[in-house]
Amino acid sequence: MIGQPNVGKSSLFSRLTGIGVISSNYPGTTVEFDEATVTMDDVTLHFHDLPGTYSLYANSDDEKVVMDMLRDSENDVILVVADSTNLESSLVLTIEVSELGIPVIVALNKYDIASRRYDVDIDGLSRVLGVPVVPVSSKTGEGVSDLLHAIAGGSAKVSDYRVMYDGHVLKYVEELMRIDPTITWGQAIKLLEGIDLRIDSVSQEVKDRISEMSEEFIGIHKEPMNMHLARDRYGDAHIIVMEVMVRKQTEPSRKDRISEMTINPSTGIPILIAVFLAVFGILIFVGDLLATLVDDAYVAVVGSALADFGYSAGGELGEAIFTGIDSSISAILGLVIPYIMLFYILLGVLEDTGYLPRAVVLLDRSMHRLGIHGNGFIPMMVGFGCNVPAVMATRVIRSRRERLILCTIICMAIPCSAQLATITGVTGKYAGAVWVLAIFAILIALGFFSGCILNRFLKYEPSNLAMELPELQTQSVRNILKKTWLRISDFFKLAVPLLIVGSIIIELLVHYDLLDSIVEPMSWLTVTLLGLPAVTIIAFIAGILRKEMSYGMLVILAASVGIEDITLFMTAQQFIVFGIVMSIYIPCLATMTAMYRELGAKDTVLVSLASMTVAVVIGSIFNLVLSAFM
Amino acid sequence: MLDVGNDSREDYLINILRLSEGGTAVGTSALADYMGVSPGSVTEMLKVLKREGYVNYEKYRGVSLTESGYRIARDLRRKHHIMERFLTNVLDMDKDNAHEQAHIMEHAISNDAAERICRITGTNVDPDCATCTDPCTDSVSPVSISISVVEMKVGDSGIISYLSTEDGSVARKLISMGFVPGREVELTSVVSEKGARVIRLGDATLALDRNMASAIFVDVR
Repeated sequence: MIGQPNVGKSSLFSRLTGIGVISSNYPGTTVEFDEATVTMDDVTLHFHDLPGTYSLYANSDDEKVVMDMLRDSENDVILVVADSTNLESSLVLTIEVSELGIPVIVALNKYDIASRRYDVDIDGLSRVLGVPVVPVSSKTGEGVSDLLHAIAGGSAKVSDYRVMYDGHVLKYVEELMRIDPTITWGQAIKLLEGIDLRIDSVSQEVKDRISEMSEEFIGIHKEPMNMHLARDRYGDAHIIVMEVMVRKQTEPSRKDRISEMTINPSTGIPILIAVFLAVFGILIFVGDLLATLVDDAYVAVVGSALADFGYSAGGELGEAIFTGIDSSISAILGLVIPYIMLFYILLGVLEDTGYLPRAVVLLDRSMHRLGIHGNGFIPMMVGFGCNVPAVMATRVIRSRRERLILCTIICMAIPCSAQLATITGVTGKYAGAVWVLAIFAILIALGFFSGCILNRFLKYEPSNLAMELPELQTQSVRNILKKTWLRISDFFKLAVPLLIVGSIIIELLVHYDLLDSIVEPMSWLTVTLLGLPAVTIIAFIAGILRKEMSYGMLVILAASVGIEDITLFMTAQQFIVFGIVMSIYIPCLATMTAMYRELGAKDTVLVSLASMTVAVVIGSIFNLVLSAFM
Repeated sequence: MLDVGNDSREDYLINILRLSEGGTAVGTSALADYMGVSPGSVTEMLKVLKREGYVNYEKYRGVSLTESGYRIARDLRRKHHIMERFLTNVLDMDKDNAHEQAHIMEHAISNDAAERICRITGTNVDPDCATCTDPCTDSVSPVSISISVVEMKVGDSGIISYLSTEDGSVARKLISMGFVPGREVELTSVVSEKGARVIRLGDATLALDRNMASAIFVDVR
């Protein structure tokens, strides 16, 4: 499956395969390809969902993935996903793919919207291109089964469509095919554009001839051959669209006017501020409300069942272990459902309406001060959910320098949903909402300073913002809920078992009087510098595994010394310091792994150590200042 | 350049260029109207030009320039600009008069001579006179001079004339996103003077930062 960014490829993929893939309304959701297998009409189909690519050019890493896939793999069929609301642009990629001589089938996506605006001659399009064309809507699911039948039934065809290229180009192609008869027509065109799609590269003779041809061509046409070829394809695409599509009379809708307002600076910036205030307002206030509900529900449903079970199974030790498990599970539920799930629902809404790219454009200039461009905004936004996909999303940014700045900001200054939940649900709850704002202010300042400092010391590399603004659209509740579930299911699958194991270990340590001897060597940090109970080091270490575990462990630790009411375990001041250190210090293991893949070992270690140091320094300062005043 | 004595053919080519930018074929009746001649003589001339390989022409489907026809028309338009500019700015001639003179001279002067004259007027030579600061106008219909997207005003629309950037990757990125000469663009919004430009390209809306936008040169209507 290949298609341009924003054509709805990922959501079509999940429609076709029934497999959950996170699809979002901006480029770069799929940075590596996803695979899935489906059986249809007794035929087994393997799908590869490739990253969105505007053309076969290999401009960025994700486009290189596409090129490698086309070069190496033994794909039987290429399913081109075209956007029928922006057909001209999609047809250019379709034409490029058709030239390669591989059987092609075209899915005309977003047909539900396009058919309201245009009369589309599907058969005509299919005739011109010489390949089957199936109208589908990944949003409503219409046409998806027709598409599967068409693929399974082997109706894909090698296109016989030929772009009306310039006479010189056609002569060059013939000559290349004469010099080396193994070069196909499509490969020759790509070679002239400077792209080698062959497994074994071409001979020196061919390469030399191509560079001669390129010079000769610029001499004649005063423009490089790749631009000329692209122009010819757009020319053809334009003519095809004129033939097969007739625009129905439509007047600018209310949606168009709203769309205009979101991007026009005078109205757009107030809207932007309002949107973000709304997101964080909902998170803090609705989150708090949900937290109470979840807590009550947990008590009502589970009650003392777990502790009773523990006692009957293993006496006092069993009861202690299960009390720990019980309170940590309720703590996790109290964080994950109200705060983390809520955040992902809000992020899903922002993504699917197509609003995020507009924020990117509005923020582009202001972000230059931090040495990054507007497109860094999306990884940052995603980072409020989870740092792992955020670090991976930095891949769409070409400059390594910007990726480093972004990863630093994401790790240090952007609290992930687990950290957000700790700040609002723990510090906010036990020390007061004003401290939530104080911590946010510190994080914003931290992000700003670290960006400015890195910007000053890292060598400048240009990087450019070029982004498609998808149409604003109403969203499918199904897609948002599905995405939210995909994103939070890990918390239940991984965090709960880990907490159970952690709880057992802690209780055993307490039982055999080993806990103190383990936490004591680190008390210079926890007690002396940060003014926290010595055992909190365990919570911090657990937080390196998974951030939401920190608070869970804290509850277990409190339970292990027989304190069920957490406010007796730590004071308000300690909750503030805990919240600050938690939101800055060291990225979790999964984030470090992702960073290692994107930036390499050296920078990962540097960023981790830096965040650790900054967290301890700020935490200590807070401890001193608060001790003086509180 | 076509052989001497072919002024009228060259006129056809330049007028087809003016009408056809955007990649669409021009109807013969539209061309006849624009040039003020009868449809019959247009058809006759188009047959000749087709035989000589300068235009693609089929009955009922209109006419478009071939590569060689396009090259000649573009050179002519440039020479017209240069001469008109020279006559108005250096020789202080009035615009209408200069236009008429330029119309004759565009067929006679060599590329080399035109470029030398262009240098006298103090501007660099480029295929579309994009660097001309004081655009010369054509009194039949204003012949636009390419300006970069950064210089466009909100609401301006036009046809992409060429891309110009030192950075090859910028050009590749722009081409792959569809910023290809011949396509129509409209500037819909400017976030801030140094900020992003929001551009309508075909059925898509795209945002480019200032640096990328400055690489796109447009013949504004």
